[in-house]
Amino acid sequence: MRVLVVDDEAPARDRLAGLVSDLADHEAVGEAASGEEALELAQRLQPDLVLMDIRMPGMGGLEAARHLAALSRPPAVIFVTAYDTFAMEAFEAQAVGYLMKPVRRERLARALRHAARPTRPQLAALATADPDSRPVRSRIAARLGDALHLIPVDTVYYFQADQKYVTVRHAGGSDLIDEALKDLADEFRDTFVRVHRNALVALAHVEALTTDPQGRLQVRIRDVDELLGVSRRHAAEVRRRIQKT
Amino acid sequence: MPVETKGTGRREDGLFLPDLCTPSAVLAVVLIAELVALVLALAAHPGNTAFWDSLARISLFLLWCALLSAALLCVLRPRLAALEAGRASAAAMAVVLAVVAAVSVGAWWMGRWWEGLPPLLASPAVQGLSGFVLTNVIIAAIVTGLTLRYFWVADQWRRNVQAEARARIDALQARIRPHFLFNSMNTIAALTRAEPRLAEEAVEDLADLFRASLADAGTMLSLKEELELCRVYQRIEQHRLGDRLSVDWQISELPMRARVPALSLQPLMENAIYHGVEPSTGGGTVSVEGRYDPEAGTIHLTVENPLPAGRPPGQREGNRMALENLRQRFALAWGEQAGVSASAEGDRYRVTLHFPATEEAP
Repeated sequence: MRVLVVDDEAPARDRLAGLVSDLADHEAVGEAASGEEALELAQRLQPDLVLMDIRMPGMGGLEAARHLAALSRPPAVIFVTAYDTFAMEAFEAQAVGYLMKPVRRERLARALRHAARPTRPQLAALATADPDSRPVRSRIAARLGDALHLIPVDTVYYFQADQKYVTVRHAGGSDLIDEALKDLADEFRDTFVRVHRNALVALAHVEALTTDPQGRLQVRIRDVDELLGVSRRHAAEVRRRIQKT
Repeated sequence: MPVETKGTGRREDGLFLPDLCTPSAVLAVVLIAELVALVLALAAHPGNTAFWDSLARISLFLLWCALLSAALLCVLRPRLAALEAGRASAAAMAVVLAVVAAVSVGAWWMGRWWEGLPPLLASPAVQGLSGFVLTNVIIAAIVTGLTLRYFWVADQWRRNVQAEARARIDALQARIRPHFLFNSMNTIAALTRAEPRLAEEAVEDLADLFRASLADAGTMLSLKEELELCRVYQRIEQHRLGDRLSVDWQISELPMRARVPALSLQPLMENAIYHGVEPSTGGGTVSVEGRYDPEAGTIHLTVENPLPAGRPPGQREGNRMALENLRQRFALAWGEQAGVSASAEGDRYRVTLHFPATEEAP
């Protein structure tokens, strides 16, 4: 089994990698010091399993795991934590594998035997349970073939759903993601507003509300040429949210 | 009822009753008996001449009851202390009622034999023996019940105050975060493999830190010792965080023999690292600056850390608690002369301690 070790502290990484390599048929194929690096290495090295520290500067372990789940062949994940009052309860409740530092050899072996891929709902629930990490992702993962493209949420202009996919229109272009608009609306409810049954717009990028010759309400977004239609059902809410910002 | 005077009337055996063997307790028992006598005499003969006679006789009777009960309870105390509160109350009540019954029987017979003696409480001649005893036992049961209840409530209150004080001390001593403890253990486990000598040093450092944190609340150290603890703490964190952590020490001005409460600077460093350095990808520098004003005789110690984007550490629960603890301990040591202040300026967060430079424990 090929294992990727992720921890921001070098001694912790070294120890885990050492313990993994001590086990027969296991190999520590890489070490990452942050969530971002973990995603990069996971794509390059294609590990079977990731040992993921939760508390890391920048992108934490919970968010990194959520992005990993978007990979075409996502690795199994076991979380590792030194001390988190929230952790044990949440992990037990979600039946997601976790280990406490300092990790015991036998526990590690057992966890590796039972390792599983956490599902998206499990990961979302964990993120909400952690009082210290924000349940809101800082990035959105879009898959391009086998590669993962991370889009910072604050560069996203809008999300638009068609039959199967959601299009993310952002400063760097547009990408397709495999997520439900409803989940996105819930997660980013503080920064995005629903303008139509099929569209969420970033409040920060809204330039103005206009009406077209037929009298229909539209929203103009900075740096975006086309206008998005505002449905009658959402008009009042959109006006209220835009005035507030 | 002023039985508990300056803690002298109390033995620490866990029984809620005051220790009736002490002179102050005996005096209190006499006072209680007299008060009850007064109530009974007033009730029986409101404002006529028979009142004084009646008071004297009732007093005599009650003092016998009260002092005999107190003496018995004093002797029986070790046995009562072994019982739980409910049973101890019942036993104490039984003792008092038995004494009252016995004294009543004695008084009744005495009233019969000694024709010249005026009737005691009511007139025993008209009342039968059993009626007389029963009346007295009922009165005694009520008074004893109220008294026991009072002692129990007072004892509960005292225990609450003590428990609260102990919880406070515990909170003050539990200043080292579990987060830090487990991360350090993990670092030591890692170092044990790779660099056994560093692991050994880390264990020694951790031991020093815990020894200091387990010292009595209120222990004072010299600034030199406190700064050494901070360095020990820094060394442990350095193993873990490597290049991400740097500490800038500017403390040459400080009078190293000045006294500070143990672990007053260390928690500030811990907060600075936990909130300022750990969450930031590139790490950060914690600066510790000491200034000494020889004329005013005051020391200012400032710990400053960068604020990682999007996290206001000043509002964090742990940080607030640590500062509140420090404030209390400083107030305890120096009153108004010392203080703790915290402020965020731009992207730096700063906590300043100021206190008088004293070489003896204040």
